[in-house]
Amino acid sequence: MVRFIVRRLIVTIPMVLVVVSVTWGLIRLAPGNFYTGEKPIPPAIEKNLRERYGLDRPWYVQYGKTISNTLRGDFGLSLRYQGQPVNTILAQAVPVSATLGLLAYLLALAVGIVAGTYAALRQNTKLDYSSMALAMLGISVPNFVLGPGLVLLFGLTWYVLPPALWGGPEHLILPVLTLSAVYMAYIARLSRSGMLEVLRSNYIRTARAKGLPERQILFRHALRGGLLPVVSFSGPALALLLTGTVVVERIFALPGLGNYFINANLNRDEPLIIGIVAFISIVVLMFNLLVDIAYGFIDPRVRY
Amino acid sequence: MRKLCLFAAAVALTSSCTTRAEHSRYFGKTEAPEGQVLRYVSGSEPESLDPQVSSGQPEARLHLGLFDGLTEYHPETGQAIPALAERWEPNGDNSEFTFHLRDARWSNGDPITSHDFVYSLRRGLAPVFAARTAYLAYDIKGARAYNEGTGKAEDLGVTAVDDRTLTFTLAQPVPFFPGLVAHQFFRPVPRKAVEAYGQAWTQPQHIVTSGAFTLSVWKPYNRLVFVRSPSYWDAARVRLKQITFYPVEDGTTIMNLFKAGEIDALYNHVPPAAWIDRLRMTVDHMDKPEAAIDYYMFNTTKAPMTDIRVRKAFNMAIDKVGLAAYERTIKPLTAFSPEGIFPGYPQPVGDPYDAARAPALLAEAGYRDAAGKYDPSTFPIAEVELTYNTNERNRHIAEYVQAQWKQNLQLTVPLKNMEWKTFLDHRAKLEYKGVARAGWVGDYMDPYTFLDLFSTKAGDNGSGWSPPEFVAAVRAANREPDPAQRYKLLAKAEKILLDAQPVIPLATSSTNWMKKPYVKGMYPNPVTLHPWKFVYIEHDPAKW
Repeated sequence: MVRFIVRRLIVTIPMVLVVVSVTWGLIRLAPGNFYTGEKPIPPAIEKNLRERYGLDRPWYVQYGKTISNTLRGDFGLSLRYQGQPVNTILAQAVPVSATLGLLAYLLALAVGIVAGTYAALRQNTKLDYSSMALAMLGISVPNFVLGPGLVLLFGLTWYVLPPALWGGPEHLILPVLTLSAVYMAYIARLSRSGMLEVLRSNYIRTARAKGLPERQILFRHALRGGLLPVVSFSGPALALLLTGTVVVERIFALPGLGNYFINANLNRDEPLIIGIVAFISIVVLMFNLLVDIAYGFIDPRVRY
Repeated sequence: MRKLCLFAAAVALTSSCTTRAEHSRYFGKTEAPEGQVLRYVSGSEPESLDPQVSSGQPEARLHLGLFDGLTEYHPETGQAIPALAERWEPNGDNSEFTFHLRDARWSNGDPITSHDFVYSLRRGLAPVFAARTAYLAYDIKGARAYNEGTGKAEDLGVTAVDDRTLTFTLAQPVPFFPGLVAHQFFRPVPRKAVEAYGQAWTQPQHIVTSGAFTLSVWKPYNRLVFVRSPSYWDAARVRLKQITFYPVEDGTTIMNLFKAGEIDALYNHVPPAAWIDRLRMTVDHMDKPEAAIDYYMFNTTKAPMTDIRVRKAFNMAIDKVGLAAYERTIKPLTAFSPEGIFPGYPQPVGDPYDAARAPALLAEAGYRDAAGKYDPSTFPIAEVELTYNTNERNRHIAEYVQAQWKQNLQLTVPLKNMEWKTFLDHRAKLEYKGVARAGWVGDYMDPYTFLDLFSTKAGDNGSGWSPPEFVAAVRAANREPDPAQRYKLLAKAEKILLDAQPVIPLATSSTNWMKKPYVKGMYPNPVTLHPWKFVYIEHDPAKW
């Protein structure tokens, strides 16, 4: 187990470097620069800018700097937000995205598992059909429709919740609901199908035959196996949720990573793009690792 | 996605219309906040709070609260009014200006002297500082050379005669200089703080300001909080205790916040065209002409747009009055300077809409059949595209223009949209075919800020058009000391531009922003910059 984790951690470093290198190349391919604007700036000012930010150096020097920055975990200063270290920006934006993502995920988990399990236990009943229909709706309605819809009702018709901005807990409710809907639906469907399969398996039949109470069968035996699909879904889903969601952050004007990421790209803010990409790839790799480790605990069939 | 957001927002709009009084004077929830607090959406997250670093309007709006200039924008007209300078006088030909400073202090109590201005200008023009707006100061003697690395800071034409007297020597007459120095680039920065903290001097714990407010909170992408500065020279006039700026960019989100009463005012061009008719019924909508224009430019280096008759035909085939009606807020424009912005300026008139003359011009240019009549099939339509940067409004206008060309010239010009920076690069390198979108917001209140776009070296302006006679005409106008005569000469230069038709003027922009009725002292001025010291909250509904 320890050897497995160490091996995976070592592989992480070259993988992050590959991601950063590809990103670096893509930024070079994109036309325009962080300083281009409606009125072309005089050549002398452009020269001053290129010198100041080291853009006049050969490509391998610039690339080398990016790689050494990444290895040191210090991504330098943002080009767009002058004087602001990328690490400070990350430190401010990550908690926002993480709070939002975590709350959305916990909500999705709670509602999704309960709904899915109930649906599985009452298969082919009205409850099953209605909760699965609702889940289908949750998957099909994209968050850029759901978000404005919720804003319309709660923010602009009843005036009970703020339609956007970041501050108190009241600002969290609508974005968390918007963000969690699709995950809630997925989890409900996954846990239903997982549970259905497990409830029909031999070891549950054995447990029933032994005369165990239904509650114990469900919580001690069935859920562990039935939720495996949810666990494998959780890794990438959590990683995505925690690293910011462009659409929801934009609709609700939240100071999260997603908002920074989209603007960093539009502004050609290279250090910030590299910093965010490196951060996201590390998080994704770590969560995949966590899921693999979790398998070992939940599923007795998995051995490392 | 934007479309759906807009749709949802439109539904919100209609539902509110039906549930509330049909023609409410106000838009959405209208309750004045307690105390003298203003909540404003300023646009994108500021690049920097250093007035010499940032170049955009969102930052300019913030700088107006933190830093005073020698002059300030008049809240209603945008013209220069005294600020840190209590008065000024030019020499005979407007090539030298002497400013007399008032007794004013930085927020740390230090006096603001003319040496601060000399320091700030040298800093802003230093090549190593690489300020993007440094070109605004190129009219000052020695400025261009110093910024380009060939001159010395000591040779700059700015002199502190004594602590309270400042003299600018200019490379050429600049009659609008007092208006120019209101620009953020010329606002002084606090030397001590800059030298002590470097780039971090604009952080709330370090910043020293000269304006009506100081910075108490700066949370990126979240909010900036300004609080009244007790040491401000005009503190008695300042009524707002606090301003909270929200850096929000999404138009629908901003409108939602305004409707819900979470903000009190917002910046320009935010309300979408589809909402305007409803918004016009309220007193909240601020709709006045702005010192900004929408236009298209031709790539005059590539056929068929090398032919002036083709350019004229494409211009004449667009009904701009119709465009203005379609877009709701903008005003039709045939000239290159915005209309009705510069009092006394004898603005020339460009070619009018002429659906008959336009195809005739193309026939003259050689696109005709054997009988000599205009024949669209002979036109090299594959060489023409209309390129614009991705944006709902730009697409709207482009579709209208496309339809006009189809209707009047029987030519279907393909539309091509691009991401902003890609577009800028493409346009600057003259890689586009035919026509590209452009727009310009005046840097200062003078027609020269528009004509200057085409008086640069050829190719710099994205059209490839900048003939010596135009550049000479503009320069000659600026050498003229008499303001009325100068305006006449500038108008002559503008006429040269309109005759050569490297551009299709489309519209004078409109301010198009919103404020709640209880916000007073804030006006739809042509620069959409609001000196915050004049703004206050009126709690008595009778005075709204």
